This record gives sequence, structure tokens and C-alpha cells, in this order.
Amino acid sequence: MAQATSIIAAGTVIRGRIRAEGDLEIHGHVEGSVSGAASVTIGAEGLVKSDVDAESVIVSGAVAGNLRGTERVLLEDGARVVGDVSAPSIGIRPGAKLRGRVATGAGSSAPEAPRKPAVAAKPAVQASTVKAAQGSTVKRPPAVAAPSPVPTKPSVAPVTRPAAAVAPRKVEPTVKRAPEPVVPVLQKRTKKAVKRRAR
Amino acid sequence: MAATVIGPGITIEGEVSSDDEVIIGGTLRGKLEAEGAVTIEGDAVVEADIGAQSVAIGGSVIGNVTAAERVDLLAGGKLIGDVKASRLTIADGAVFKGNVDMEV
Repeated sequence: MAQATSIIAAGTVIRGRIRAEGDLEIHGHVEGSVSGAASVTIGAEGLVKSDVDAESVIVSGAVAGNLRGTERVLLEDGARVVGDVSAPSIGIRPGAKLRGRVATGAGSSAPEAPRKPAVAAKPAVQASTVKAAQGSTVKRPPAVAAPSPVPTKPSVAPVTRPAAAVAPRKVEPTVKRAPEPVVPVLQKRTKKAVKRRAR
Repeated sequence: MAATVIGPGITIEGEVSSDDEVIIGGTLRGKLEAEGAVTIEGDAVVEADIGAQSVAIGGSVIGNVTAAERVDLLAGGKLIGDVKASRLTIADGAVFKGNVDMEV
């Protein structure tokens, strides 16, 4: 059952998500996403405007999207690919056209991580700082919750929370700094902030 | 032109349109338009409106079916939805709930 080959013939247009077990041949037009297949073959007439994830991807047609193979990606003669290609084993035959990044070898099994910082450093930094910020809130949730009104009215806090009066002074600067990474800031500064917080 | 085959194990969420025959053995949610014949095989699950030249239903269909020519609800087939076609056959053992419009 799972090994059955599915064929999207020329003249067929699919817009949406395709999840596949087994093999998939695309000779038609696909927009959306293709994932899960053991093998995806994109024929010479095939036109795919989507990311393709599969064990092996063989392209003879046109693809606008990223190709990820857990085993291999092969671009045949006549293939036209605009997008990133990653797989442990990648073949590009003479006559194939490619515009995009190529990541091959053992490290390419997790292609998303190394690719993103190179393309756009900011999202990655933001992500890490967000994690750091989350970490800090997890470490001392009551302290973060309590002093948020404190910066505006410092005199109120000691009165309402005499027990926490000592803690907010230490926490206050980190709380002020915490929002900064969320708003894009100089990367070096945020990295330092992350290190500081890590210590 | 060859038939489009959505085999067992394939799930499509979205729109499928074809100028030829479509055979579905997997799962389709969304919409299906074909200028040729559409065959819904025994294990197939289709939650979509179907428009085609002709439709043969051996699997499960939830959605309205419109055929230029004919609709055949085969034994073991299940259809919940309205049928609009000039010819309709319902085999013994088929399950059908919906309205029929045969353009009388």
C-alpha cells in the first residue's frame, strides 16, 4: 500500500498540501507543499512551486522551492531549480540549471539550522534572545511579574510588597533589558546580553 | 495524456484540477475538478466537491458531485452530498445521503 506510486499527470494542477507515503511522480503543476514521500520524481513537464521534502528527489522539470532529500537529490539534464537544495548526497547532471544554495554531506540532514544564519542573521539572533528571555522568565517568574509596574512607580513596590523589596532592585535592570532583544537591536549587544544572562 | 493517480498513502489538502482522468485511492480534502472521468477507489476518502465528466464512487465521498455525463455509486461506495448529473446509478450496497438533480 505504502509503496504505491502516485502520478500527477500533465494537465493536472494541485494547489495545496500533499503528504505522501510511497512514490510520487509529478508531471503536472503543483503549488503548495510536498512532503513525506519515499521518492518524488518531477518529470520534464512538471512544474512545482513548493518545497519538496522526501527521501529522494529526482528533478527533470522546473522547481521554484527548496528541495530537501533525506537520502539524495538528483537534478537531471533539463532540470530548472530556483531554491535551496540539501541532502546527504546531491547530483547535478550537465544541463541542469540551479539557482540557490547547496548543502550536501552529513551536516545537511538538518539543513534549516545552518542555512538561516547565513541568509538572515537577525531572525536567528532574535530567536536565541527570545529563548534567553524565556529562560529568564522561567527562572524567576514571580520576580518578573512583580517588578513590571515598579519602574514607573518605584515607591509603590516596597509598600505593597515589603518582602520582595530587595529582589526588585537586582531584577529591575534585567527586566528593563529584556524587551530590547525583541525589538531589533545591535547584534553584538544582544549577544553580550545573552552571555551575561547565561552567567 | 495520462491519468492522474492519487494513490493510497497520499493526502492532499487543497485543490486538484485536471484536464484528464483522475483516480483517487488516497485522501483528498478540498476540491476536485476534472475534465475527464474521476474514479474514487475503495479505500479512498474524499472530502471535497467534485466536478467531472463522469464520476465513479467506490470509496467514501463527502461533498457535492456534479458530472456532465454520469455518476456511478458502486457497491461499497459511500456518498454524503448532492448529485447533479443526467445519469445516476446506485449499486446495491452503496450508501447515499443527499439530493439528486437529474436535470429533468
